[in-house]
Amino acid sequence: MAARRKSLPLARNQELWLLACAVLTLAPDVEHAPTWLAAVAGMALAWRATIWWRRAALPPRWILSFLVVAGSAGVFLTYRQFFGKDPGIALLILFLVLKLLEMGRVRDGLAVVFLCYFLLLTHFLNAQGLDVAGFTLAALVAITAALASLANAGLSATANLRLSALMLAQAAPFMLVLFLLFPRVQGPLWGMPIDAYSGMSGLSDTMSPGSISNLSLSGEIAFRAKFEGELPPKHMLYWRGPVLGFYDGSTWRAGPRQAKVSLPDTAPGPAFRYSVTLEPHNKPWLFVLEMPGSLPPGAILSHEYQVLSKTPVRSRIRYELKSYPELVQGIDEAAASIDSHLRLPANNPRTRALAGQWRRESGDGEAVVHRMLDHIRQERFFYTLTPPLLGENSIDQFLFETRRGFCEHFASAFVFAMRAAGVPARVVTGYQGGERNPVDGYLIVRQSDAHAWAEVWLEGRGWLRIDPTAAVAPNRIEAGLASAVPVGEPLPFIVRADLSWLRQMRFRWEAVTNTWNQWVLGYDPQRQREVLSRLGLREPDWKAMTAIMAVLCGLLLLGLTAWALHKRARHDPTLGAWNRLSRKLARVGLARKDWEGPEDYARRVALARPELGHGLAAIAALYIDLRYGRLSGTEARRKLRRLVADLNIPSRR
Amino acid sequence: MPISPTDEAIRQAGRIVLGKERQIRLALVCILARGHLLIEDLPGVGKTILAHVLAKLLGLNFHRIQCTADMLPADIIGVSIYDRNSGGFQFHPGPIFAQMILVDEINRATPKSQSALLEAMEEHQVTCEGETRVLPDPFFVIATQNPYHQIGTFPLPESQLDRFLMRIEMGYPDRAAERELLAGADRRDMVASLAPCMEPGELIELQRAAREVHVSEALVAYAQAIAEHTRLSPDYETGLSPRAALALLRAARAWALIDHRDLVLPEDIQAVLPAVAGHRLHPASGAPASSSTDLAAALISEVPIP
Amino acid sequence: MQAVASFKRWLFRLHGPEPAPIVLTQRRVYVLPTGAGLAYAAVLGLMLIGAINYNLSLGYALIFLLAGLGLVALLHTFRNLVQIELSPGRVEPVFAGDLAHFGLQLHNRRSQGRSAIGLHFDGQEAIISDLAAEATTSIGLPIHARKRGWFRPGRITLETHYPLCLVRAWSYVEPDMRCLVYPRPESSAPPLPLLATGDSDGARAGRGTEDFSGLRTHQPADSSRHVAWKAVAREQPLLTKQFTGASTMQVWLDWDALPTGLGVEARLSRLTRWLLDAHAQGLAFGLSLPGKAIPLGQGARQLQDCLEALALHGS
Repeated sequence: MAARRKSLPLARNQELWLLACAVLTLAPDVEHAPTWLAAVAGMALAWRATIWWRRAALPPRWILSFLVVAGSAGVFLTYRQFFGKDPGIALLILFLVLKLLEMGRVRDGLAVVFLCYFLLLTHFLNAQGLDVAGFTLAALVAITAALASLANAGLSATANLRLSALMLAQAAPFMLVLFLLFPRVQGPLWGMPIDAYSGMSGLSDTMSPGSISNLSLSGEIAFRAKFEGELPPKHMLYWRGPVLGFYDGSTWRAGPRQAKVSLPDTAPGPAFRYSVTLEPHNKPWLFVLEMPGSLPPGAILSHEYQVLSKTPVRSRIRYELKSYPELVQGIDEAAASIDSHLRLPANNPRTRALAGQWRRESGDGEAVVHRMLDHIRQERFFYTLTPPLLGENSIDQFLFETRRGFCEHFASAFVFAMRAAGVPARVVTGYQGGERNPVDGYLIVRQSDAHAWAEVWLEGRGWLRIDPTAAVAPNRIEAGLASAVPVGEPLPFIVRADLSWLRQMRFRWEAVTNTWNQWVLGYDPQRQREVLSRLGLREPDWKAMTAIMAVLCGLLLLGLTAWALHKRARHDPTLGAWNRLSRKLARVGLARKDWEGPEDYARRVALARPELGHGLAAIAALYIDLRYGRLSGTEARRKLRRLVADLNIPSRR
Repeated sequence: MPISPTDEAIRQAGRIVLGKERQIRLALVCILARGHLLIEDLPGVGKTILAHVLAKLLGLNFHRIQCTADMLPADIIGVSIYDRNSGGFQFHPGPIFAQMILVDEINRATPKSQSALLEAMEEHQVTCEGETRVLPDPFFVIATQNPYHQIGTFPLPESQLDRFLMRIEMGYPDRAAERELLAGADRRDMVASLAPCMEPGELIELQRAAREVHVSEALVAYAQAIAEHTRLSPDYETGLSPRAALALLRAARAWALIDHRDLVLPEDIQAVLPAVAGHRLHPASGAPASSSTDLAAALISEVPIP
Repeated sequence: MQAVASFKRWLFRLHGPEPAPIVLTQRRVYVLPTGAGLAYAAVLGLMLIGAINYNLSLGYALIFLLAGLGLVALLHTFRNLVQIELSPGRVEPVFAGDLAHFGLQLHNRRSQGRSAIGLHFDGQEAIISDLAAEATTSIGLPIHARKRGWFRPGRITLETHYPLCLVRAWSYVEPDMRCLVYPRPESSAPPLPLLATGDSDGARAGRGTEDFSGLRTHQPADSSRHVAWKAVAREQPLLTKQFTGASTMQVWLDWDALPTGLGVEARLSRLTRWLLDAHAQGLAFGLSLPGKAIPLGQGARQLQDCLEALALHGS
């Protein structure tokens, strides 16, 4: 029988449900799928819709076979393989639309529904935000409703949707239990294709004019930090990233990986404790507040005081740290290292000349630093997101001609000038500042907070942070990018300061997103252990978790079974009280027969138990008036309930 | 406390028709519900006496029609006879023009006469030669019938049976009642000495009161459930019609009235059900043979009170 | 084969016909995933591997929600079937070889409706029905009646895949039902053995007075009861009213009068055909079988009695 039912032809409303599901499921793929595939899928859906509309016949098998072969060939030509994330998704999309064209029976409908479920999962490869989750939930309700319509074509659309929503709501507790307790395995299970992490943005380990200002146009969040206690003042919020010590005349690069160093044993000044939730950026560096006094587990410290993780950060990670703003490093810097921080290519002659002149006039390194900063402050320099393009001697051009630049121009020119004046210097990139979300107290650091500054090494004092941008635009440091760049520059919408209600909403939204990231997306094996031990489960191993999971699921199933077997009590409270009386009397073997009228029943009980006769007569009289007479009203009903409750049935012996 | 006329009638009738209080009550209920009564039993168990007693007690004028095979409709309804003196037709009303009619052995009459009678019962009027004549009010027919298997009878077809609100069986009196009957005075003399315990106007008033007895939603549901059950159950050949369900409620109202209640209880329906439904139900073929009344009694225990 | 059958009877608690009403308690409703349910589980497994491999936290959530949905579907399907009350309804007699419809009443006491409940006899077409809330639904379950006599159809399977096709819940019931199967009427039987045009004797004398059929001129021997007085009143000559009804044709169907070479079933088959023909022509008919005779009579009830006697002949 089952087989026969599955091979039933699809009804028209079932087809429509399935078609709608496919459209809903495929909609987010338009953005990510190759253009030709999106076009093919769109045409196939339109074709299927036309067939539905005109009640036409499905296309013959040979056309479908041809489309399968051609489509698969297209996928192979696009990706040069069938395995991996993108070709897999492409094939799934292809199969879904072709299945729709072949769909004529309930069995095909089931296949379409299962494909839709699978495709929902693949959307998470691109994004897992709250919006995606919301969309997926909506799609899930629709697809499940389609599945329900396959079981009963006669149900109306709203009934299907209601049923689907009810079932998903009932499934939610199972999801919660499984999500919390299912023993998590840290992926991947096998080698990842290289394409897995494309499209992540962030600071790179090179810097050329324009690279940071480009990044600044993005309102995306780089990381979030939560401080224990007070937030450090703005001018201390320098988040150290890649340190760039090599200059080839146009681009600054990081030096070769060198030996790691250990942390100093003692550190001066106040400490800040905080945790950072870093968005994946596919690079190994971790951002820390200058200067780090501890390291997250598994991370190392390079000799340039850069904190690096062993593998690129490919998923959102969270680490806890301690930083000492007054810690100075590099007092005993090796001579070779100092030398390397003086190397320069042979261009920008005017800058070299100016720097040499400063060096000769002031003598020591610190004075040169101040001469340079004064120069930037006093000449007409502009801080702007849209600097003019620069040619070969870019630093000369910037310092003496255009005088318009973003932080990377200032940092780059400053370091160049220092090196030309014989002061060891390097560029440090990272983020500066951040915005405190008043809703949850997190400090949000965006790509628009990306920054570049300089460090100079002075004999006996070590590496000192110098921010030439602060000299030209003090607001950048104290109040953020939005207040520092001239009005009218193309700032990311999200960091504009002039819309306070928008900011407020943004804060709320970001606080929610952060919670989502912390607790849902960031729920990894480590977090799972944390949560479970907080719930009182010491040393949770997978056996214990599986056992608890099974028990909880069993309890949920029991609850649902009780619901399934529950006979809804009649709505009539009068009848309810009357039935309760019968149940009460059933204990002494005097249950009402279900065809027995109230007077007969009262008489029978009175005959069997004369001591109950009086009470029962009163109850029966009231019940008769309520149910068969004209009496109504809650007062009388309450009285009946009370009478029934008060009826005392002494057991015989 | 003054004795109500119905109680008085039941008491008086009970003195003559011994040991048959239930039948007396049902007959009275039938009158109050403005229905007609069919009494089915062997000759000599007091069918005729019951009818007489009721007519007397309720103060109704009484006619009796003894049915025979050669009776014509005109013998019941009456005929127009040409009057040579007046030069026109003069209608001579038949025995049907009375408030209470006893139709004895209705199954001896030919189907044609039966249907003429039953039509009159249904419509409370007769049409004779294109002229409609209204029957008196109250109008009540008690028909008696011998059980089917007697020779030379025309059993009433089902559609005609439906016109009777109730069918009751008298049954033999129990030992004590029979002894009292045999020892006591002649029943006919006792009937003659009865005094009516209500005025005809009073009876109409009671009939009106019976119509106004309250029937709650729950009770309607019960009546419906009973009818529905008979339609669906394999035990019955045909189920109860909506008319039968209406009849059930009508009779239950009257039963509640003679019980001095202004609302109908499930017990009232159960009390009248065998009499109301008995002649409307037939056991299905293949089912164990049982009397229609037993069938109706079984019905009570099969339908839960909603 | 025998052992499998008895194991099945033990497993599914089948103990022959049960008294009505039959309630599908939770102990007699069975649930198992369907093929689609297994496919669903397989898809979820694949999705889980994908989610682990790509560390899709939200993917875990989706998969667990779908897994929960599977469990919920199990209970919904179970709930769709459990606590149905089933009682046998009407069964009209049929002729052998025809489709008998066993009436069943499905009571749904729940305040929600139930959807897509399929019922079928073993190896027969299923009837799929929705049950409204707090109501009784009647269905007629078809099965081919092959042999005359009392026909007991055996067990009924109730099943449902609602709401998601992933799970099948089913239950077996064997209500106490039987259907009277009349012999199959012979397709090319000889014409009716008409007995005679009946004379009006005994109890049937009254028939002649039933239906007014016309008027004729009065003859002195006519009864004065039959004089058309109204016509007299209109100053017409004396007329006599005429009545008909006494000339009903009669047919006596006798087992022993059939050709001796005819077998038992063939005789029954021919008698069935004749009975139907006699009834269709409005004749009075009687039947005599070895050990049983049904006197002359007319009408649907008479036909039923005769057919029943034929159906149950020899049993």
